[in-house]
Amino acid sequence: MKIIHILLALLAGLGLGLAYSWGLAPVTYVDANPAMLRSDFKDQYRLVIAVSYASTHDLTRARARLELLGNTDSIVELNAQAQRMVGASESFEQVQPLTLLAADLQQGVASIPSTSLPFLSTPFVSIPTSKVINTPAAVTPTEEIITAETQSTSDAITPTTSFAQTALAPVASSTFAPRPTFTAIPAPGAPFALVSQDAVCEPGKQNGLMQFILIDKRSKQIAGIEIIVTSNLEEDHSFSGFKPELGNGYADFVMQADTIYSVRVVEGGTSISNISAPTCTDPKGTSYIGGWLLTFQQP
Amino acid sequence: MTSSNWIKIIIVVMIGVSLGLLYGWVIDPIEYTDITPNILREDYRADYVLMVAEAHENEQDAESATRRLAIFGSDSPAQIVASALEYANKNGFSQNEIILLQRLLTAMQTYQPQAVTAP
Repeated sequence: MKIIHILLALLAGLGLGLAYSWGLAPVTYVDANPAMLRSDFKDQYRLVIAVSYASTHDLTRARARLELLGNTDSIVELNAQAQRMVGASESFEQVQPLTLLAADLQQGVASIPSTSLPFLSTPFVSIPTSKVINTPAAVTPTEEIITAETQSTSDAITPTTSFAQTALAPVASSTFAPRPTFTAIPAPGAPFALVSQDAVCEPGKQNGLMQFILIDKRSKQIAGIEIIVTSNLEEDHSFSGFKPELGNGYADFVMQADTIYSVRVVEGGTSISNISAPTCTDPKGTSYIGGWLLTFQQP
Repeated sequence: MTSSNWIKIIIVVMIGVSLGLLYGWVIDPIEYTDITPNILREDYRADYVLMVAEAHENEQDAESATRRLAIFGSDSPAQIVASALEYANKNGFSQNEIILLQRLLTAMQTYQPQAVTAP
């Protein structure tokens, strides 16, 4: 038998084998992980993580759950999804859990302490996630994470690409300790006051940019505060925290020239009127439209 | 072609088929990247349902919970929660988590979607 015949027979067999294994009977997955979800389902999964976190305030567990989605930067993904939802005209109530979780992840602490869920007779403690997901792996908690959280949920999880069923990890005993209170999210109705209004004349910046910084009484920036900017032409609603790279309490709005605006922070209803874009002059003597930096603080 | 040659060809074809199967099933199997949640592993499904239960405990909004559970496909929300509860009972979930799942199950069993009237 000639070598060419052997090669042809081998190739024919290989072709048949591949056709069967890829076409007729491909590997079927029945035990997939969240990292493999289609992007819209990932968004849904991420939103449920956020609303669950808004209920339990268990930051370590929320972080571990987000890692299941396989994104390199969960904070960026949360903020991007929040932006997409705002762009799709979703309500603030639906978007807020995402921004809250993103802000807390960035700060490394739960902004609202974990409390008992209202209908449970026993305290709601952090539960080790290792028993929920079968493939636990250590995650190094940041130093800022409250000790009580890291004690009870130190066995966090990472996404798995393997489908082999692994044994359930033993359930570790949880330890419950009261968590310190944080007040980064203001109490409803607490009024914000304008503490500074500075003209910004920087030629490199976008013309007419009105920037807002919202801080609490300890000068800590606060995310998720609604700001309404109105003029005779439009009404714009924006929220602090959608640009975390500029600060959790940052928001901005682009003013038009020769237009008078009023600004109102929804929490407390403080209203600032008669704001218009200032005129600045660069070193060459050319005029351009400047901006404002408004800082609101919760007294 | 003699019969011994045919046998040799068949053997070589069989080797080729084996190599093809090895490559297609083991070395480079088809990878799924855009899957739907209905084929999530059971523990992930249970954890997702637990998250819905945690959110529901705070929101008390059966409609939102139903919508969130709908990503698992055609099973009814009550069936989905019942499966998760069964998994939780078998796999050492905490008492609080089981209570949350039971309450969500009750909410799903009693939930009546509001009828939409035609204009």
